[in-house]
Amino acid sequence: MTIGARIPRVEDARFLRGEGRYVADLAMPFMVEAYVLRSPYPHAIIRSIDASEALKLEGVEAVFTAADVPADLGPIVCRIPTHGDLSPYLQHPLAQDRVRYVGEPIAVIVAKSRAICEDAAELVEIDFDPLPAITSPYRAIEPNAEPIHEAGNLAGDWGFDLGNVEEALKSAAYTVQESFSVQRHTAMPMETRGLLASYDRGRNLLEVHGATKVVHTNRNMLAGMLGMSEQDIRLVEPDVGGSFGARGEFYPEDFLIPFAAKRLCKPVRWIEDRVEHFGAINHSRDSDFVVTVAADENGIITAFDVKLVTDMGGYIRTHGDVVPSHAAACFPGPYKVRNYRINTKTVMTNKTPTGTYRAPGMFEANFARERAIDRLADKMGLERAELRRRNLIPAEMMPWHVGTESVKRPTIFDSGDYPAVFEKALAGYGWDAPFEREENGWLRGRGLCAFVEPSGLGAFEGVRLEVDQRGNVTIFSGSSNQGQGHETVLAQIVSSIIDVPVEKIAVRHGDTGIITFGGGTYASRTAVLCGEALYNASHGIRDKALKTASAKFNIPVEELELREGAVWQAGKNEPLITLGGIARILMPGNPEFLKPPSDKNIPDHDGLVVTSYIRGVPGGTWAFAVHIADVLVDPRTGETKVEKYFVACDVGRQLNPLIVEGQLIGGVAQGLGGTFLEELTYSEDGQLTTGTFADYMMPNVYNMPPVSTLVLEDVKPEGNVLGVKGVGEIGPSGVAAAIGNAIADALKSNTGLNILPFTPERVLSAVPTVTR
Amino acid sequence: MTLHQVSFTVNGKKVSVEVEPRQTLADVLRGQLGLTGTHLGCEHGVCGACTIIVNGEPARGCLMLGVQAEGAEILTVEGASPDEGLSLIQEALREFHGLQCGFCTPGMVMALHHLFSVNTSPTEEEIKEAISGQLCRCTGYQGIVNAAKAVAQRLQAQQ
Repeated sequence: MTIGARIPRVEDARFLRGEGRYVADLAMPFMVEAYVLRSPYPHAIIRSIDASEALKLEGVEAVFTAADVPADLGPIVCRIPTHGDLSPYLQHPLAQDRVRYVGEPIAVIVAKSRAICEDAAELVEIDFDPLPAITSPYRAIEPNAEPIHEAGNLAGDWGFDLGNVEEALKSAAYTVQESFSVQRHTAMPMETRGLLASYDRGRNLLEVHGATKVVHTNRNMLAGMLGMSEQDIRLVEPDVGGSFGARGEFYPEDFLIPFAAKRLCKPVRWIEDRVEHFGAINHSRDSDFVVTVAADENGIITAFDVKLVTDMGGYIRTHGDVVPSHAAACFPGPYKVRNYRINTKTVMTNKTPTGTYRAPGMFEANFARERAIDRLADKMGLERAELRRRNLIPAEMMPWHVGTESVKRPTIFDSGDYPAVFEKALAGYGWDAPFEREENGWLRGRGLCAFVEPSGLGAFEGVRLEVDQRGNVTIFSGSSNQGQGHETVLAQIVSSIIDVPVEKIAVRHGDTGIITFGGGTYASRTAVLCGEALYNASHGIRDKALKTASAKFNIPVEELELREGAVWQAGKNEPLITLGGIARILMPGNPEFLKPPSDKNIPDHDGLVVTSYIRGVPGGTWAFAVHIADVLVDPRTGETKVEKYFVACDVGRQLNPLIVEGQLIGGVAQGLGGTFLEELTYSEDGQLTTGTFADYMMPNVYNMPPVSTLVLEDVKPEGNVLGVKGVGEIGPSGVAAAIGNAIADALKSNTGLNILPFTPERVLSAVPTVTR
Repeated sequence: MTLHQVSFTVNGKKVSVEVEPRQTLADVLRGQLGLTGTHLGCEHGVCGACTIIVNGEPARGCLMLGVQAEGAEILTVEGASPDEGLSLIQEALREFHGLQCGFCTPGMVMALHHLFSVNTSPTEEEIKEAISGQLCRCTGYQGIVNAAKAVAQRLQAQQ
């Protein structure tokens, strides 16, 4: 049984040997390179663009501006439902007459080399009329603020109002009100984006390498924008150096590079550089909360009343408002609180547009809610775990309907025994174990948080499973892969059902040329959805093999079994026929017909091939998790050191514990980056001031504490056949909450720990003067 | 732009290439010699994905110019890999799940390759120091450090 086996990944060897093929490693004959000329202004009118000098430079092939794209080309559309109409805020691939953030594409320069492109960029004359830049969402919605879009700077103003919050607040024994701020930061994969597009004019075929995440969706969007048939475009995912939610969405370049290739009839390659990446990739988080939490005298939380402001940046992109939407829909978390109200404002500013980053909206909401709950516990004089214990949704109330929705999906926590997992987590860590409060002048604190994390979202997923004449198995997956380990996990699922070793099962993914429909990879969905499609396809292969063998050898199916890559008759020592043999029989046109063909159809002779599409569960499947950390704080300097970190979660069933653990630990690392280090800051005049790895700090090996995990398989979700929950986002989701609570515990202070990231300055400002 | 003839040894093989003075060594290795295992993550010397060994010392391929490589002995991840299969370091990284997307991996392999070429029994602190200039966005480093500790143990056991 390979499902659940802790096996090393099959894809690792090529990466370790330097044989991975990332987009920048690809080249084609007569290929030219593209460079995107971007706005240096956060907000300006473009009066004119003169590229004539640039075009004279030797080696320059073309300079495309908004004047070169079809006049009726619309903006890049949003691929998921939004709260209200956000279409007035969508981005065109090239700025038309106005730029709204530093980094907005204005022109595409194509030349024999990237270096020549950059030389040419210096020669493009653009006449800008600068406008006042707005970098604060609060400033943006003041009545006299410069309008960034005609529709106004307040893009969305919506919320939920469940139960009777007013009444609950009035009758509460305790209330706490706190403001929280989660800074702008983002995914920052180690590989920047890139594309290599080539166009075969004679056949009208366009091929684009470098896509990932949602290749079918992007292919369809591109077809619409180029006026081509979807089947005339192929998007291909190479090896991909991380996505974490940001990479692989349909960005301006995803139109511009194929467009340039089509116009020039030459292969065009664009490789983003890191500085460019900082201003061009979706930013994320950037949300402020005001939270009021109320409780009765018994420590039962009676209401959450929340105000949320999210800075969306200069445009709405393909993700729409999913970050505030998830935050608003899920704010009450794992607690049985029926009085819940939230007002959400989504605001446009002159900054890079935003989208999702691993645990979108959840990292943010968990931080605000769990910090507020600790404050409430302190105010009540109640132990922090005890307060949570009294409010967790009990197992018998599953499935729990929150009463909200996000991207038009109802928020339903489908399964789990939250109180049981909570107790196991506390015991597993030793939450109650005494510890030294002080060490060499440093103060030690312990913090925890509890939360639920969605997974397995999206309408459908599909796979095709093929067995060749030699018994080799290939999975053609509609989902994609950016380093998670799908080539191993998907092979494990198939291996366990048709009993072929993992090494004999190849996984092809992220390619619109290999399967007609695909959902893609996001929202921790591949194990859940692709896993189920593969389960069904594997059983389809098994059934087909047994039926074929039964017909060929005239033995009832019930007496046959599939193992070790062959069909066996019960009780016999030799296999009847290998899977490869079955595949040979089933080849179309094979004269060895199992039954006389009727008409000219050969229905049983379509290969040992099964395609399976499955529908997703509308609400997905939700994992419950607990994070706990011990943190040392130097009250003299504000310096912090996370001593140990612990994640407990119930994931239903692990497909490969090695990969589950890797997702959790790696996720914690990203969460720690967002908690302590990473921040995309803007100057008042709209320039990004943390635009290199020297300014934007990401965790290195010294920033990592030892992380331990407790992965439970207690309650299987019923919505998918494998009984799995996605684990991709459990790692980062609770980190800021647990760390904030631990630092507050160390300092015996709650002020100043509501603003991320926890820089030494901010921590120092939270130290009570008496301690300092 | 004037081209300069530059000769050096890479992975034990003598090569001679014509390069522009502004080309980085990483670009020369990748673009002209097809050694695409050396990755460019930032091109400003911070991420470490382009780490190679130049004259026995780890170096950033993005911070050296191609013309500076004249006469140098260079080792890239391709040269640090056995003809078939995986080296001790690579095998341990796989076993301990010290990689996910694989983009930082060649730099990580080279940093560890250098560490073990000068110190066969590094402590955990020495391992951390050796990879402290390498950014990995996927793993949280735990699997990488554990892999390196296993390599140290295995090298000790061999002696």
